[in-house]
Amino acid sequence: MPSGRTASPALETWRAALRAAPAMLRIGVAETVAYRAEFVVWMLTTTLPLIMLGLWTSVASEAPFARFSEREFVAYYLGALIVRNLTSSWVVWQLNEEIRRGMLSFRLLRPVHPFFTYAASHISAVPLRSLVAIPFALVLLFSSAREILVTDPLLLVVLAFSLLGAWLVTFFVMVMIGSVGLFVDKSVAVFDVYFGIFAVMSGYLVPLALLPGWAREIAAWLPFRFMLAFPVELAIGEYSKPGLGAAAALRDLAIQWGWVVLIIGSAVAVWRAGIRRYEAFGS
Amino acid sequence: MIRVDELVKTFRVHRRPPGMRAALRSIFKREYEIVRAVGGVSFRIERGERVGFLGPNGAGKTTTLKVLSGLLHSTSGSVEVNGFDPRRREAAFLKGITLVMGQKNQLIWDLPAAETYALNRALFDVPRAEFDATMRELGELLDLESLSTKPTRQLSLGERMKCELAAALLHRPTTLFLDEPTIGLDVSMQVAVREFIRSYNQRYEATVLLTSHYMQDVTALCPRVIVIDKGMLIYDGDLRALIRKMHPSKLVSFTLSGPVAPDQLERLGEVVSRDSGRVVIRVAQNRLRDVVGHSLASLPLVDLSVEDPPVEDIMRQLFSHEDGAPGEEGAASGPSG
Amino acid sequence: MSSLARYARLFGVQVRASAVTSMQYRVDFMVEGAMSFYWLGWNLVPLLILYNQRETVAGWDFPSALVVIAWFTSLRGLIEGAINPSLLGVVEKIRTGEFDYLLLKPADAQFLVSTARFEPWKVIDIVGGVGLAAIAFVMLGRAPAASDVALCALLLFAAALVLYSIWILIICASFWVVRLDNLIHLFNAVFDAARWPVAIFRGIWRILFTFVIPLALMTTFPAMAVLGTLDAKSVAFGLGGALLFAAASRAIWRRAIRSYTSASS
Repeated sequence: MPSGRTASPALETWRAALRAAPAMLRIGVAETVAYRAEFVVWMLTTTLPLIMLGLWTSVASEAPFARFSEREFVAYYLGALIVRNLTSSWVVWQLNEEIRRGMLSFRLLRPVHPFFTYAASHISAVPLRSLVAIPFALVLLFSSAREILVTDPLLLVVLAFSLLGAWLVTFFVMVMIGSVGLFVDKSVAVFDVYFGIFAVMSGYLVPLALLPGWAREIAAWLPFRFMLAFPVELAIGEYSKPGLGAAAALRDLAIQWGWVVLIIGSAVAVWRAGIRRYEAFGS
Repeated sequence: MIRVDELVKTFRVHRRPPGMRAALRSIFKREYEIVRAVGGVSFRIERGERVGFLGPNGAGKTTTLKVLSGLLHSTSGSVEVNGFDPRRREAAFLKGITLVMGQKNQLIWDLPAAETYALNRALFDVPRAEFDATMRELGELLDLESLSTKPTRQLSLGERMKCELAAALLHRPTTLFLDEPTIGLDVSMQVAVREFIRSYNQRYEATVLLTSHYMQDVTALCPRVIVIDKGMLIYDGDLRALIRKMHPSKLVSFTLSGPVAPDQLERLGEVVSRDSGRVVIRVAQNRLRDVVGHSLASLPLVDLSVEDPPVEDIMRQLFSHEDGAPGEEGAASGPSG
Repeated sequence: MSSLARYARLFGVQVRASAVTSMQYRVDFMVEGAMSFYWLGWNLVPLLILYNQRETVAGWDFPSALVVIAWFTSLRGLIEGAINPSLLGVVEKIRTGEFDYLLLKPADAQFLVSTARFEPWKVIDIVGGVGLAAIAFVMLGRAPAASDVALCALLLFAAALVLYSIWILIICASFWVVRLDNLIHLFNAVFDAARWPVAIFRGIWRILFTFVIPLALMTTFPAMAVLGTLDAKSVAFGLGGALLFAAASRAIWRRAIRSYTSASS
C-alpha cells in the first residue's frame, strides 16, 4: 500500500473479499457436498416449469395455444427451468435461519462483508446445480426444439450477460426480502407474496406472451421479467425474429443492468438500515 | 433392580478426512469405521442405590444409559431393568423409568410447562389425585412457584431445568437415569438440583444413575461410582475407597509468615503451588504425620490445613494411563447426521 | 381406560396444546388467513389463461376444472394444517436428539409424531376450497347429488391418507439421512400437478401422474365423484390403493423405529 495513504473502505472491502474468496468457495463446495441430499432435493423443487410443460404441451398437442406450438412450449419451459436453476437464490432462508438462531452475529464478525459470504455459498453451489441442469439441457438440445434456439454469436454474448444480470437481480432482491427479517419476523411471508407476483410477472408460470395485454404492459415495467423471461426469450430465439434483433436485445440488456444497479443500491440501503436496528436490539 | 451382563455396543461411523479430494470422493463412496462405544460392561444395581457414572467424553456413559432406557439396542450382552427387557419398551417398563438429558428439552417450547405436565399426565395415565399430590411435592422440593405458568422460552436455564425435572418425574418413576442434569447451571442451581435428587431418592426409594462432568455432583450424591473409559469398566465400588486407592497422598497447605528456602519445602513433599505466602505441597499418606509435625515445629506458620486432592486429579490420573493419544472425542456418540 | 378412549383423550390434549400455541401468535393467524386468499386467487391464474382461449380441454370445461382446483386447495390446507407441522417438527427433533423423549413415552410413537402440532388457521384453505367447489356448481347451474358428495368426501379422505403415508415414509428415510426436511418442498412442488384434471396431461405425463405419483387419486377422482362421472372401478382402485399404501407405510415405520434404536446414538 502506498505510504501515507489509506485505501478507501470500499476498496478494502473488495480486497478482503477477493483474498478470502478461494477459502470461502472451497468451504462452500465442501458444504454442498456434505449436504448433497439436501441440495439435490432443493434443486428438484423447481418443478413448476416441468408441470407447466406437461400441461401446456398437452394442451398445444391439439392446436397451438396463442402462438406457441408444442415445440415452443418445450423450448420455453426447459429454458426457464435451466435459467431458474442457475439464478435462483436461497438467501432469504439463510438469513431467516441465522437471525432466528442468533447466528447472524457470527457472520457479521467475519472480516468479509456478509454479501460476499452469502454470494460465495451460492456460487459454490453452481457446479452441482449445473450438473442437475445438464440433463434438461441435453433434452432441449436433442429435441425438435433445438431448431428455434438462438445461434447468433452476438445474441449469445448478450445471453451470457443477461444470465449474470438475472443472477444479480435475483440475489439482491432476495437479500432485500431477507433483510426484512431484521425488522420483523415476517421475511418468509414477504417472500411468499413476492413469489406469487414473481411467478406471474417473470414468465415463470406462463410465457409473458400468454398474459392478457394489460398484464403484459405492467410486466414490461417491472424488474421480474429481467430475472427470467429476458434470458429465456434470448435463448429460444425470440430476439432473432423479425421486428426484434440485436439492437432490441442490447437495449433490453441495458435496461436489465439499470435494474441491477438500482436493486443493488436498494439492497445495500435496506441491509444497512436493518443491521443498525439489529445491532441496537441485539440478537 | 438393574442388571447388566457383558454389554457391548458398536456403531458404524462415517469417516471423512478433510480436503477437497476426499470431499469429492465421499460423494461416491463413504468410508465407515466400527466404533466400540461399550465393550463388555457388567454391573448390578439394587433398588434405591445412587450410582455415579464417571468417565471422559466418549467413554460410553451416555450410550449405556440409553441402552438401559431402551433407546438403543445392545449389540450383544443382556440388560434387565426392573425385570423388563428395555428393548421391548413395554408401557409398564416406561412408566417406571425416566431419562433426563441435560440441555435437551422435553418441555414444549412455546407453552408454559404446565401444558407439558398435562400432556405427560395423559401419556402416563396418572390419576388426577396422584398427579396433584406429586405436583405439590415436586413443587415444594424444586421451589417451582409460578414457573410452570410462564412459557418455557421465557425461563432461564436453571428454571427450565427445574421444570424439566418436574415433567420427567410427575409419573413417579422408581428408576432415574440422569445424563448430565446440571450441565450449564450455576453453582446454586447445581446444589438445588443435587438436593432435590437426594430427596427424591430418599422419599420414593428411587434408584438413581447419574452421569456428570461436575465431580461435585458425584461426590455429593453418589456413594458408589462406576468408572468407564473407552467403553470398558475400570472401577465399580465405593468412591472414597477409589480416592484412597488411587491417590494415597494428601495436599497440605501452609500459610507462611516469613520466607522459607525452597529446598526446605521440597524435603517435606512435592510443591504443587507457591504463591506469596501460601504454599501447597503433596505428601504421601504414610509420611503425613511426620511432615505435619515437622512443619509445625520448624516453619514460620500462620495456618496449616490438610485436604484430599481434588477428585478431578484422580480422574485425570485414572484416564491418562495411556500416552497422550487423543480419545475418541464424540466418536462414540455415533452417526449424528 | 380402553386403548381407543385413551388415544382419543391424548389426541384432544395435543389439539388443545396446538390451539393454545397458535393463539399466541394472533398476527400470524391474520397474515396466514390473508395469504390463503392470495394463493387461492393465484392458483386460478393459469386456469383463467387456459380457459380464456378454449371452451374445454380434454373434455373438462371450466367449472369442472374449477372443482379440481377446489379440492387441491382443500387438500393442501389439510396437509399444511394437519400433517406438515407435526412431521416437520419431528425432523427437527431427530436432529437435536429430542426425538428420544418421544420413544420414552408409553404411547405409540407414530401417533405422538403425527399429532404433535396442528395449525388451525389452515382451516381457511379447507373452507376456501369448498367455497370454490360451490361456485363451480353455481356455474353449472345444478347441485351435486348427496351420494356423490359422500363419495367425494370418502375419496378426499383416501387422498389425505395417501399424503400422510408418504410423509411417514419421508420421516422413515430421515432416520438414516437426517436433514431431509427439504423434501417437504419437493413434495409440495410435485403436489402442484394435482391442480389439474389428470386427463389434461398426455403421454408420459399422464402415466407419471397416475401411476408413479398418484395425483389422479387425490384431486381428480374426488372431483369426478362429486360431478357424478366416476366409475365404480376407479372408486375401488382409489380407496383400496390408499388403504394398502397406509398399511405399507405403517409397516415400514415400525421397521424404521427398530432400526433407529439399533443404529443411532
